[in-house]
Amino acid sequence: MAATTKPAIAAVLEKKRPNPRIAQMRRTLYFLSRNVLAILGIGILIFLIGVAVYGIAFDPESATAMQYYCGTYTGVGSSSSGSVIGCTSVCTYPIGTPPPAPNCYPTDAYNPSLVAPTIDLAHLHGGPLPLGSLTVQLAGSSFFSIYQGFVKGAEWSLLISTSIVAAGATIGLVLGSVAGYKGGYTDEVIMRVTDIFLSIPGLLLVLVILAVVSGSFPTLWGRILILIGGFTVTWWPIYTRIVRGQVLVTREQKYVEASRAAGAKTGRILSRHIIPNSMYPVFVQMSLDVGAIPLAVAAIIFLGFQIFPSVNFPEWGTMAAQSVPAISSVLIQCQINSSCYFPWWQLLFPGLIVFLFAISVNFVSDGLRDALDPRLRR
Amino acid sequence: MKMWVYITRRILLIIPVIIGVMTITFGLVSLLPIQDKLISHYGRTKVGYAQNVLCTSLGIQQPGTCPNPAYYNGVHQLGLDQPIFVQWAHYIWNSLTLNWGTTDTGSYASQQLGFSGSLHITTVLGYLLPYTLELAAISLFIILALAIPLGNYSAVYRNRPIDQAARVMSFSGFALPGFLLGTLLLLGVTAAMGHVTACGAKSDAFDYWYGSWAPSFCFPGSKYPSFIGSYYQTTPTGFPTLDSALAGDWSLAADSLRRMLLPAFVIAFGAIAAILRFVRNSMLEVMNLDFVRTARSKGVPERSVVARHAGRNSLNVTITVLGLTFAGFVGGFPIIESVFHLRGIGLLLAYSIQPNYDYGLIFGATLLFTLIVVIANIVVDVLYAYLDPRVRLG
Repeated sequence: MAATTKPAIAAVLEKKRPNPRIAQMRRTLYFLSRNVLAILGIGILIFLIGVAVYGIAFDPESATAMQYYCGTYTGVGSSSSGSVIGCTSVCTYPIGTPPPAPNCYPTDAYNPSLVAPTIDLAHLHGGPLPLGSLTVQLAGSSFFSIYQGFVKGAEWSLLISTSIVAAGATIGLVLGSVAGYKGGYTDEVIMRVTDIFLSIPGLLLVLVILAVVSGSFPTLWGRILILIGGFTVTWWPIYTRIVRGQVLVTREQKYVEASRAAGAKTGRILSRHIIPNSMYPVFVQMSLDVGAIPLAVAAIIFLGFQIFPSVNFPEWGTMAAQSVPAISSVLIQCQINSSCYFPWWQLLFPGLIVFLFAISVNFVSDGLRDALDPRLRR
Repeated sequence: MKMWVYITRRILLIIPVIIGVMTITFGLVSLLPIQDKLISHYGRTKVGYAQNVLCTSLGIQQPGTCPNPAYYNGVHQLGLDQPIFVQWAHYIWNSLTLNWGTTDTGSYASQQLGFSGSLHITTVLGYLLPYTLELAAISLFIILALAIPLGNYSAVYRNRPIDQAARVMSFSGFALPGFLLGTLLLLGVTAAMGHVTACGAKSDAFDYWYGSWAPSFCFPGSKYPSFIGSYYQTTPTGFPTLDSALAGDWSLAADSLRRMLLPAFVIAFGAIAAILRFVRNSMLEVMNLDFVRTARSKGVPERSVVARHAGRNSLNVTITVLGLTFAGFVGGFPIIESVFHLRGIGLLLAYSIQPNYDYGLIFGATLLFTLIVVIANIVVDVLYAYLDPRVRLG
């Protein structure tokens, strides 16, 4: 009898006085739900995550295989003036291997009625509809569907950005809490090292690390690993600084003192009391950084640095970055010739994907910040 | 504490930071394969630096491979066979005495920037630094001119249309990659201006906003003015706009400024996103303080309360944030300078990470950018101490 009543009593007690941390979370969610922009951001994020899940679960091809179309990209004159040279077959090639000879028919996995041999450059260039639009690659002779890149890129972009942020936050959490709690020389040493890392511009550090190390990692997973590692090296100092600042406040609280008086060891105090109560600013920074990483990857790719073994890699930032030089070259031709075929969707859709991801993440993190900071609540 | 004591102390404190940064770059350098180190020191044009080569290529009639004397001589000459601490000390000493090595004649950067032969990296950086500093100064001006008033307005008119507009601008600054915004602006300018001749000869709007100087055909006899040297370094100060103005060539100075306008705006747009919010929040905090209420209650006009009482006090935060975001802001230069083909350290770095890596230039440019950030942080701290005497007294 007693065995059944005890949990019941515990449950009632739980209901009466919820854990303050859970109460705080409920408050946060309440304030978050009243912020229209944050809800919009959460909606977009859920959609993008859904796309990734769809890609993993329902896409017939693997995430490392892209349908690849060949054609000659002239960009000048009417859409059908170009010619397709040497296109003999439809080809799909796995990422991580060198691109095949450009001998693929322009076909569309999502519109099988348009399969070769009707070699139609108008179709190859795609159209205003996202599902049929193609983006041009750097060489200007191969294309892939933006829709396909969007679906497959979702997995890669989300994987890369979440793992970088998770790794950076973990390192920052450990070092920052130790520095803040221990103080003295430990604090001094950790924070000076952090200062040193913070004074090197982040993007440059990633570039240098990739330039030095990438030669030794030729495989796809090796490259993704060094990408994550390189970004983690630049991302941990921010977290360390945030966590330390927060821990310096938290460790003076009465409950920490009580725990210490009760004889708790440093590890327990840190893991049970200090870290859980210093987490919220870390969440805000994490949510902010997740959106920034595809932009940073795009920036590196834009500089002409080939991170991934294949040029044809489905990652959102990569797609956006690669579409820009192609469009610029068309633009120059458009300036010289008065009439030209301008494939605006090649710039718009990949750019829009990156932009939407980053801005929705920003909406959410701004909403979080407002919800967590009583002074900013409206 | 007197101001100069504070400044001296602050400058002395950066020495460990600089040595730490150099240690990090040394760590990265030591990860490089030895062959790459030899190439970046002796250049690509010399004999191969593989550790073992075919014996016949060395003149030894014997099948198989033999140790390459060029490799071992190089390793010995560069001191790569010495303990790592000795190498580290060498590296730090050479870095501090500005002995940063030479450029790789076979690299993409050397070819693109037209270096004839191997130049000292410090020389190359010296030629290009003024271009970058000019761009940085203009974008800093745009940042301050836009972020502070906008931040103040959005705090004063909180949740009103201007605040929402500033919010949207701030969000898009975070979410729009610089290269995309730059390209879109180029597209927009081209669409708006159509065919514009840069200097009478056939040119177009795209070219008009592209690059640091007008194309050479703009000058009579295809020659640049005499104050521009062979690597586009200008005399006497090295700052292109300033030097054209000093030489009395106002049209060239205006041209140079105009070419920096769009890139500076793109850089500023990204930085404003971060600074705007901090200015707004600190202004909101200051507006609730007692002295603001006192000023209002004694009848000071609202405009004066905002500009003098609250605005000046929220400036401290602005300066701190400017210092914190400076590293990110400088990190954007490689992208912006390559979008607009502006000469500068960023473009140099962008060129040196192309397939034929120029490791000397990569590390030189990174070190220089880091030094700029460190110096900017000192300036920020000193400014902060000047504005808020509590800092140096405490």
